[in-house]
Amino acid sequence: MAVTQLTQAITMRGADLLVSYLKKEGVDTVFGYPGGAIMPVYDALYDAGLKHVLCRHEQGAAFSAVGYARASGKVGVCIATSGPGATNLITGLADAYMDSVPIVAITGQVPSAVIGTDAFQEIDVLGLSLACTKHSFMVTDKDDLANVLKQAFTIAKSGRPGPVLVDIPKDIQLAEVEAMIEISTIDKIEAAPLADLKAATELLLQAKQPILYVGGGVGMAKAVGELQKFIEVTGIPSVTTLKGIGAVPTTSPYALGMLGMHGNRAANLSVHDCDLLVVVGARFDDRVTGHLETFAQKAKVLHLDIDPAEISKLRQSDISICADLIKVLPKLSIQLDIKEWQRQCWDLKQEFGTSYNAPFTTIYAPQLLRQLSDKLPNNAVVTCDVGQHQMWVAQHMRFTRPENHLSSSGLGTMGFGLPAAIGARHARPNDPVVVVSGDGSFMMNVQELGTIKREQLNVKIVLIDNQRLGMVRQWQQLFFEERYSETILTDNPDFVMLAKAFDIEARTITQQSEVLGALDEMLHSDGAYLLHVRINEADNVWPLVPPGASNADMMESV
Amino acid sequence: MKTVSMPLQTNTLKLTLNSSPEVLERVLRVARHRGFKVELMSWHSEQSTLEITVSSERNIRLLSKQLEKLIDVTQVIDLTEVNQEKRA
Repeated sequence: MAVTQLTQAITMRGADLLVSYLKKEGVDTVFGYPGGAIMPVYDALYDAGLKHVLCRHEQGAAFSAVGYARASGKVGVCIATSGPGATNLITGLADAYMDSVPIVAITGQVPSAVIGTDAFQEIDVLGLSLACTKHSFMVTDKDDLANVLKQAFTIAKSGRPGPVLVDIPKDIQLAEVEAMIEISTIDKIEAAPLADLKAATELLLQAKQPILYVGGGVGMAKAVGELQKFIEVTGIPSVTTLKGIGAVPTTSPYALGMLGMHGNRAANLSVHDCDLLVVVGARFDDRVTGHLETFAQKAKVLHLDIDPAEISKLRQSDISICADLIKVLPKLSIQLDIKEWQRQCWDLKQEFGTSYNAPFTTIYAPQLLRQLSDKLPNNAVVTCDVGQHQMWVAQHMRFTRPENHLSSSGLGTMGFGLPAAIGARHARPNDPVVVVSGDGSFMMNVQELGTIKREQLNVKIVLIDNQRLGMVRQWQQLFFEERYSETILTDNPDFVMLAKAFDIEARTITQQSEVLGALDEMLHSDGAYLLHVRINEADNVWPLVPPGASNADMMESV
Repeated sequence: MKTVSMPLQTNTLKLTLNSSPEVLERVLRVARHRGFKVELMSWHSEQSTLEITVSSERNIRLLSKQLEKLIDVTQVIDLTEVNQEKRA
């Protein structure tokens, strides 16, 4: 067990120890909202020289921490009070859990003496955290505080990353603690040793029709460079998940794009035909596989992942390696003789390329997003919400790094985009940040416009408005006999006026002819800007694999 | 195509745990959520060990691997597997 030391010699309040520990961890920005049981921490933050961003709802703080972490690769930190403050963090923690994002959430708790008495703003946060964190702590001994914080950060970022919650009773925040504390680090996180490399190499060499199935694990492992080298050397055609977008250069000749429910037809068909599926940092999510039994039915599976629990969870793998992708991928980067298969994949890619012919004058969102993508520099961060617009972003925008495409993938949380952009902007203040949202999602954390105003953040918002909960409406149209139950939002607020109430410049466009000028106006504006884009509610996301169907049976339109 | 689902099976796991107050909740939550019914359990708080018998149509490895991921679980032994090996 490794032992390190915090070199501080004075006594201080627990709250001050927390803040000084955060600074030692290299945290430069935290996101939060004050309240009764966390007041000592806010007192410590008052003159600590650590940037605190006041979000306008704890869910916004949690998503901002997620956005910060995903855009920077560092641990995101959010802070909330007990009771409702803590419960409001839960959705953000669940989002981070599903997408393996390193977050440390600090919550205040009622004083130790009254825990379990139904005290004011008391809730069992430790109990609530069990299903939505990688690990959680309630500090019960003031002398354990530093040790717990150290473990929280270590756990959040090691192995398969994830959110960690630290619940700190108010009396421990106020208690004088010895700052010189021995800190032991936990030693559970060691990845399994490299094994089966030889067998994996043989599997690769035997394959005639291999496909590389790239997931979010590549970005989380910071192994994008190693993956790209692997693709370059092996020449394996690749498909990506929603979270894998950005890991494979779209300029790569055999990059077939996203697979799955709204994937590219070339991607799904090549997976259907492959004889070896090389799974890298991915987990056979149901939105990826469609009908599991027919997914890559003829293929052997080589699975590379840091998390042993993902191996053979849904699909039995023939060979698996549980280790750091940075170490594994170079060892498997060997030349393969798959020219015929490459040609087949190339032909599929050409056959099912995207067309933006929109024979109408109103705005076609996929085309607008492609035009936006073409105007953005490579360092731009795009966050999005959840629904049709999210799929259009994934299908039609181009990304060169996974850190540039922040999309709530596993949990699919509406309301993610705006606060995630606030986090991304703080993580990367020199890079352009654009939110693409929908009229349903936007209203879920609309209060964060207040944070943008307060922090004077240069965040551009493209609000795609079909006056519907579009994705639900699409399913009602296709699978529920056009019974549009509670998905019609013709009573939306005036979004331009709403933005202006927060001193954010805004404009509405309705015609294709306005798009290029409006995008330029938005991108060249000085501060925050909201571009309100009206589209037709009949525009659906295509292609689509119907629920329960094989990925080979995609619907193209109705 | 191989699938992970099988006929109903009963297995006994022996877990060594850190003695945090919520550790039993953590283990039981994972068992329930991952589709395993607890048939019998025996908790020894002094040794921090838990013997738990579960039944499911799912492969016991799916549960043991999820339990191994818990920070407060230090060891998972499948006693059913050990006993089968002894008999063999």
